[in-house]
Amino acid sequence: MLNYNSPINDQKEYSEIRITEVEPIIKLNLRGKKRDFMTKIGKELSIIPPSDPNTSSGNEKFNILWLSPDEWILYSNDKSDLNNTNFLEEKLFNEVSKSKIGSITNVSDHWTMLNIKGKNTFDLLSTGCPFNFNDFKNTKGAVAQTLVNHIDVIIHNKDLNNLNLFVRRSFANHLWSWLNDSSRFF
Amino acid sequence: MFLINCPYCGERDQSEFSAGGEAHIIRPKQPTELSDDQWAEFLFMRKNIKGVQLERWNHAHGCRKWFNMVRDTSNDKIHAVYKMGEKPPIK
Repeated sequence: MLNYNSPINDQKEYSEIRITEVEPIIKLNLRGKKRDFMTKIGKELSIIPPSDPNTSSGNEKFNILWLSPDEWILYSNDKSDLNNTNFLEEKLFNEVSKSKIGSITNVSDHWTMLNIKGKNTFDLLSTGCPFNFNDFKNTKGAVAQTLVNHIDVIIHNKDLNNLNLFVRRSFANHLWSWLNDSSRFF
Repeated sequence: MFLINCPYCGERDQSEFSAGGEAHIIRPKQPTELSDDQWAEFLFMRKNIKGVQLERWNHAHGCRKWFNMVRDTSNDKIHAVYKMGEKPPIK
């Protein structure tokens, strides 16, 4: 049974930057190559996993981010309780994993989600990231997996100067400290 | 520092990738029938040429997929990038 023990549980505000840890959020890792897998996910969630690289698809409840040609991460838009997570995981697990058309793994505690908002958001990330944000920041729903301060992250561009950043739980505190230190320069 | 065009994610900085050595080395079908020298040859011996080389790379901090690359080791010029299982576009 999962326990949501947040590594950060904080929010900070600087000049045109606001960083918040959003939790608890359902996060599921989806893997599959078969056509049946896509159909099943589409039927269960009313969203088809995107096949185009660096993109996402979503509805009012969930987002599915492209990670690799056969891998996606699903996360909920709203904070949710533990029962909902288990119910969704179980439903997808029974439909997908048990019928061996793909795999569903609950990664809710594996990834920590930070929301970064404000005019200086991309300037802040650019100080420690090799990724070129020029096109990314103008593309709503764009996804990038890259490094920030040498830490692996998944970035989902939600809206103008508003993004969700996923970082592995064990690196979350370190990245949080770095983001806070770097934000003070703006 | 140079940019690598990942066949799945697009152009990314080299720091997101890790090099996997020489490409297109075929694993012997019956390793037990090889002598120690032949096995060591397969396992360890790699070309280290100055010039155009076929290499394996992994987008370790992105899509985590392996792919092949034709790279000139003398100036880091990338001639081609192609997926695993595909034939090299240039010889």
